[in-house]
Amino acid sequence: MAEVRYEQASRIYPGTPPVMAVDRLDLAIADGEFLVLVGPSGSGKTTALRMLAGLEEIDSGRISIGDRDVTHAPPKERDIAMVFQSYALYPHMTVAQNMGFALNLRGVSKETIAEKVTEAARLLDLDKYLDRKPKALSGGQRQRVAMGRAIVREPSVFLMDEPLSNLDAKLRVETRANIAALQARLGTTTVYVTHDQVEAMTMGHRVAVLKDGVLQQCDTPRTLYERPANAFVAGFIGSPAMNLHTVPVSENGAQLGELTLPLPRATTANLTEVTLGIRPETLRLVGPEEAGFKLAVELVEELGADAYLHGRAHLGDSDQRFVLRVDGRTPPTIGQTVNAGLRDTGEIHLFHPGTGERLD
Amino acid sequence: MATFAPPRPGPMTPGARPPAAARREAWQRRLPLTPALLFMIFVTQIPFVFTVIFSFQSWNLVRPGSQHWVGLGNYANVFTDSAFRGALFTEIEMTVLAVAISMVLGIGLAVLLDRKFPGRGIVRTLLIAPFLVMPTVAGLLWKTTMLDPVYGIVNYLLRLVGVAPVDFVSRFPMASIVTVLVWQWTPFMMLIVLAGLQSQSGEVLEAARVDGAGPWTTFRAITVPHLRPYIELGGLLGAIYLVNTFDVIFMTTQGGPGTATTNLPYYLYQRAFLGFDVGQASALGVVTVIGTIAVASVALRMLFTVFSTTEGRA
Ligand SMILES: Nc1ncnc2c1ncn2[C@@H]1O[C@H](COP(=O)(O)OP(=O)(O)OP(=O)(O)O)[C@@H](O)[C@H]1O
Ligand SMILES: [Mg+2]
Repeated sequence: MAEVRYEQASRIYPGTPPVMAVDRLDLAIADGEFLVLVGPSGSGKTTALRMLAGLEEIDSGRISIGDRDVTHAPPKERDIAMVFQSYALYPHMTVAQNMGFALNLRGVSKETIAEKVTEAARLLDLDKYLDRKPKALSGGQRQRVAMGRAIVREPSVFLMDEPLSNLDAKLRVETRANIAALQARLGTTTVYVTHDQVEAMTMGHRVAVLKDGVLQQCDTPRTLYERPANAFVAGFIGSPAMNLHTVPVSENGAQLGELTLPLPRATTANLTEVTLGIRPETLRLVGPEEAGFKLAVELVEELGADAYLHGRAHLGDSDQRFVLRVDGRTPPTIGQTVNAGLRDTGEIHLFHPGTGERLD
Repeated sequence: MATFAPPRPGPMTPGARPPAAARREAWQRRLPLTPALLFMIFVTQIPFVFTVIFSFQSWNLVRPGSQHWVGLGNYANVFTDSAFRGALFTEIEMTVLAVAISMVLGIGLAVLLDRKFPGRGIVRTLLIAPFLVMPTVAGLLWKTTMLDPVYGIVNYLLRLVGVAPVDFVSRFPMASIVTVLVWQWTPFMMLIVLAGLQSQSGEVLEAARVDGAGPWTTFRAITVPHLRPYIELGGLLGAIYLVNTFDVIFMTTQGGPGTATTNLPYYLYQRAFLGFDVGQASALGVVTVIGTIAVASVALRMLFTVFSTTEGRA
């Protein structure tokens, strides 16, 4: 059990030009917390995790686990366990040997190891496979062995790098829930890397969003969704993505087609344009007599209960794409022109058109 | 367009073709290979047949007209011939020592080469070089420039530290031959082990580090089991080549002093081309070929299991 702190921790890969893979990361993870690192590909998630594991040098700043500064400590002195994306099971060892390897190195007695391995195997439903080699296991079973190997050690921090990305969709949902439940039960501080924002939102107590090695925001899933700190987070969190469009500001507010959105004057003072963020569910279809903007339907994705309508609107002097959620039973058809309005103007997010920062 | 044609039922499927047509097609495929096959038979099997015929005769070239049939007499002599047994043991000793030592050195060098350092490409090329030298040249090179008691480099270095010159080739004949073989075969072992090292998953090694294993434990518990098929492969291939060692012995010790470095190929050569005892040498050759085939087929079977287990690894 321990808390984890990144203090201005950076990793620069040498090269021309050098790559700032993680840029002055400041992050405090409480004891027992499940923190998810999320971001697009190449945003430095894996690097940040590997810095914590001691597998990657820290070029500046500090990292501490518990009260100990581990900035330059080798992995074995950090009391961490890691689950790799490829699982990295030892191919020539049985499942039981894989799980017991770390304890074996620590000189724990054979009986204790067997006991702990059996216990972990029961927890993960692996009892039947203890004598098999990894190659004789399915992907989901291998994933569980990798988890088991981490659990058996009872480390102070779990590190997981996209542990579900090699599983099929159904198994992923199932395993997602299992990992979250397991973490809640063990109460071990966990840092979990994923590029899947659904995983991030469903599993994390808090979610840290990275972009180009820079931390954008770290907060609870709900706050990330309701008050994204900038346009990047707004666009990244939520599926389908938020509609982000830069529109002109007039006397009365922002102009979205024929729709005028009143803006709090203080926030948009001396701006001629503003970036509007509108979630698909904030938009709705309205009758032709109501205020709205015209949308030519280009694609309808039917998901059963809901359907997502992708359409093109002519705003100002350019065409812009929008996605909105509509009732799955009576979706419009492709080629139709519909009138889109807002469910609630209070759900609109405003961002600075240049910097992308949130404006309220 | 063919894709839209309705599938024709029955006899056109390949499995159900009339056997004569299938045979004809099979021969059409083999035809281009036959010249090579005939040539192979001509240059390898016909001489072997002659060897078998000679092995039933007593025939010494030095005594013309002595040629006559002796049935299995030559074979009986092979198994009572203590020189043959001596050559067999020399052969085993030489092969085992050379393979084992070059494997250990090869593993060491491969581990060193597996990390990045400036000039790695050049070092690797230089290390491979001995494998590219012809065995005859290697033997000559070691006998003269390296080990010669008068002007050899090794003795020159020994003199610098005050040791009297040693005639290595006659004092330590087996060690000298094994040294040359090891010098030639270490690069081969190194290359094979290096391929094994580089095929190892980096994440597995990192997992071991996180699990608390130091470099030595990681090597012993993770890397060596991973390398096992590669080590077996290198050992087998090396042994298959090294049992035929002739050139190096011919160039350095000539099988001596006495019979200290006479292995089977060299003993055969002595009987056939120095003793001109064609009948006896043929019987020796036939026995050696049968023995080699037996050992080689066991080795090859092992080799195939090596490959199939490598394939099945996770
Ligand atoms: N060994 C390396 N040398 C140089 N640059 C590297 C190295 N490893 C990673 N990078 C760079 O560092 C940045 C961050 O990489 P990282 O692997 O942390 O991304 P990630 O967020 O995990 O992405 P993904 O979701 O694709 O796994 C990338 O721009 C990558 O190109
Ligand atoms: Mg990654």
